[in-house]
Amino acid sequence: MYATCLSAQILGMEIIPVCVEADANEGLPQFIMVGSLGTAVRESQDRIRAAFRNLHLTTPRPLRITVNIAPADVQKSGTGFDFPIALAVLLATSRLPRGCLDGVMAVGELSLSGMLNRIRGVLPIAMKAKETGVRLLLVPRDNLAEARSVEGLRVMGFSTLREAIDFLADDVIPSSNDMETPRQVLNSYGVDFRDIRGQSSAKRAALIAVTGFHNLLLVGPPGSGKSMLASRIPTILPSLTGEESLEISRIYSIAGLLDPDHPVIGTRPFRHPHHTISPQALVGGGKIPVPGEISLAHRGVLFLDELPEFSRTCLETLRQPLEDRQIIISRVTGSFHFPASFLLLAAMNPCPCGFFPDRARCQCTEFEIRKYQSRLSKPLLDRIDLRVECPPVSFEDLQSPAADELSSKDIRAWSEEARKIELARFEGTKIHFNSEIPAPDIGRYCPMTAEASLFLERTFDSSNMSARACHKIIRVARTIADLDGSEVIEKKHLTEAFLYRTPEAISQFS
Amino acid sequence: MENVTIRNIKRDDDSYPGRMKMLPQMPDELFVIGELPAEHVPTIGMVGARACDGYGQKIAREFGTAFARCGIQVISGMAVGIDGYSQEGALAGGGKTFAVLGSGVDVCYPEGHRTLYEKIQKKGGVISELPPGTAPLRRNFPLRNRIISALSDLVLVIEARSKSGSLITADFALEQGKTVFAVPGRVGDQLSDGCNYLIAQGAGIAWSADAVIEELLSRGQVPSLKTLDQKKEGAKRALSEKIAQDPLLSDEARALFYRVPETDFFTADDLLARCSCPIAVVASCITELLCAGYLEEIGFGTYRRKEQP
Repeated sequence: MYATCLSAQILGMEIIPVCVEADANEGLPQFIMVGSLGTAVRESQDRIRAAFRNLHLTTPRPLRITVNIAPADVQKSGTGFDFPIALAVLLATSRLPRGCLDGVMAVGELSLSGMLNRIRGVLPIAMKAKETGVRLLLVPRDNLAEARSVEGLRVMGFSTLREAIDFLADDVIPSSNDMETPRQVLNSYGVDFRDIRGQSSAKRAALIAVTGFHNLLLVGPPGSGKSMLASRIPTILPSLTGEESLEISRIYSIAGLLDPDHPVIGTRPFRHPHHTISPQALVGGGKIPVPGEISLAHRGVLFLDELPEFSRTCLETLRQPLEDRQIIISRVTGSFHFPASFLLLAAMNPCPCGFFPDRARCQCTEFEIRKYQSRLSKPLLDRIDLRVECPPVSFEDLQSPAADELSSKDIRAWSEEARKIELARFEGTKIHFNSEIPAPDIGRYCPMTAEASLFLERTFDSSNMSARACHKIIRVARTIADLDGSEVIEKKHLTEAFLYRTPEAISQFS
Repeated sequence: MENVTIRNIKRDDDSYPGRMKMLPQMPDELFVIGELPAEHVPTIGMVGARACDGYGQKIAREFGTAFARCGIQVISGMAVGIDGYSQEGALAGGGKTFAVLGSGVDVCYPEGHRTLYEKIQKKGGVISELPPGTAPLRRNFPLRNRIISALSDLVLVIEARSKSGSLITADFALEQGKTVFAVPGRVGDQLSDGCNYLIAQGAGIAWSADAVIEELLSRGQVPSLKTLDQKKEGAKRALSEKIAQDPLLSDEARALFYRVPETDFFTADDLLARCSCPIAVVASCITELLCAGYLEEIGFGTYRRKEQP
């Protein structure tokens, strides 16, 4: 007899619906699997056989079983096919009622005991299932919350294969399916911007950066508070829109990093990879690529501490995603697109010892300093919108009462005000933040006073600015004007933005 | 590179510098590209730290230029830092400057000073006691200091740490009976410790270029300095007037400029501490002053006053 069950294959960020076919007929007893299967998929017949035996699902007589996963030209990988194959085989050998698998999609991994194990990527699979009009989605119990977060799709979760058979044969709903909707966890960070004394310009730059999602580079001697400031950035990040939240959860689901109890991510990610990271781990890699750090930081912050210590290849691979806001990884198996629209937050020392230009402490030679700084290429620096100095903190600053400083709550409230203006401006477009304004639309979104445009024209001519640098300054000025509640960009907004630009080199020796 | 002539001058030659002839422990021969310092023209040796800061850089340039404008020859070692800046300053002032190297005269060290090295050959000379082709060896550097001091009438130390090669030069100078001047610095500034120590030991205080030039006045035919002083005062007044009338500047930027430190470099946060406006205003004013050419950026968000042409 012949039976089918729907399933899905993850390919990069894409979900490809597949059909698992099983045929059981007279012949030499054998279990054959075809359809461009990877090792993990091929192994599934051993898991299924053991699981059947342990659940006492014996076949009445030996049969020749053939399983095909169509379309056969898509390379299959992962362990999510165990469950649909098992169901199709059960139906083909008449141990499930006819028609019970029509319009049903199933994913899940089987253990030898017959338990269903959690797999990655269930959220996007559920989205795809809804899109393609699947009647019912069957998932392992541990993936249930994730799949249920897609509204308008019927989902059932099972702990064991036995539960699934009982449900399909006798309509017994497993008790574990009455789950409450997951609560949104409230974040308490335990840190606050108020903890940072002094550093007024760095704080100001942080406010501008999170409001318009501009890339930020902090430069300063060791111990001046760069990392401290960076660790407090999550406390002031703008809140997520529903659409953004789903985008992020999708990526985390594919990477297998979703919390089973809180499947929808409610806060912007903050990724902080160590500088020994490999380029593949940073941008994504593997034979069938999985998302890297830059995609995990999508719609959030990627913090690279000690920027010049990262390998040159790592830093240069960032160039394309910083421009295109996505990464395309090409492998023999195809090209894979991963979203990567992140805020690059970087921190570095100005020289190997860290104290330049304070020559009382820094004894690095000019050559050493040049060499250290040249680890960051011009094109990379070109993509950083804001660069700010964190000077060493004075003792008076340390002694000043914390109450004098703005708290994270105040900063965030200020930023949210400006965000409202931003969101209203980009209503109905694909743009989320000022930093994403495409160059051709700058004129439309960034009106300027006559005085401001005169200033820009003059500085553009006198300072050999590139067109990209000029656009960057305008986008930052747009954010500063938003923070000021101003509809048009005034000269003072432009001049402030200009101060945070990244010059040709970070440091110049005249 | 074009072919240059290296002259070899023996101790008994007439062209052997008279200033060196009378002193003990002077080399038997010298190698020279370009000229040797003129005998009856006042000469100042300028030495100091290699890893200097913005203050030292500014003083070295300014003093070098001022000396050159008065027709004083500047001797130094063409090293990075104070040495190089002094000689650049002297060249900018249109004067002659001489480099005493710790390598062969045909070896440019540091390589980064290639342009300076070539300029000095045309507007002065490159001198060494070591045979051409000698590599820049560490042990040779302290030795060339005795020639720098011997060729000078006065040795000026700009920025030296408490254990510094510049102090060796000052010692040589005292042994050779030359006057030593030091540029004073702030107490506790490591880069000024050496200078302040020299002052405590009785060195002249180089509180301005003129103070050093006056000292030389008694020796040579240095032109009167009155005109130079007047020029400086005039420049200061002109700057205030220029700022007051500059149409590019906002009132806030104008007010802020008077709070900018005279010689030190500063960050936006430093300036914030000196005035009462919010950081956004300070940032935008700094840009205005930068664009209008009153400030310059020396890197890493640090700025200083720009020397007015």
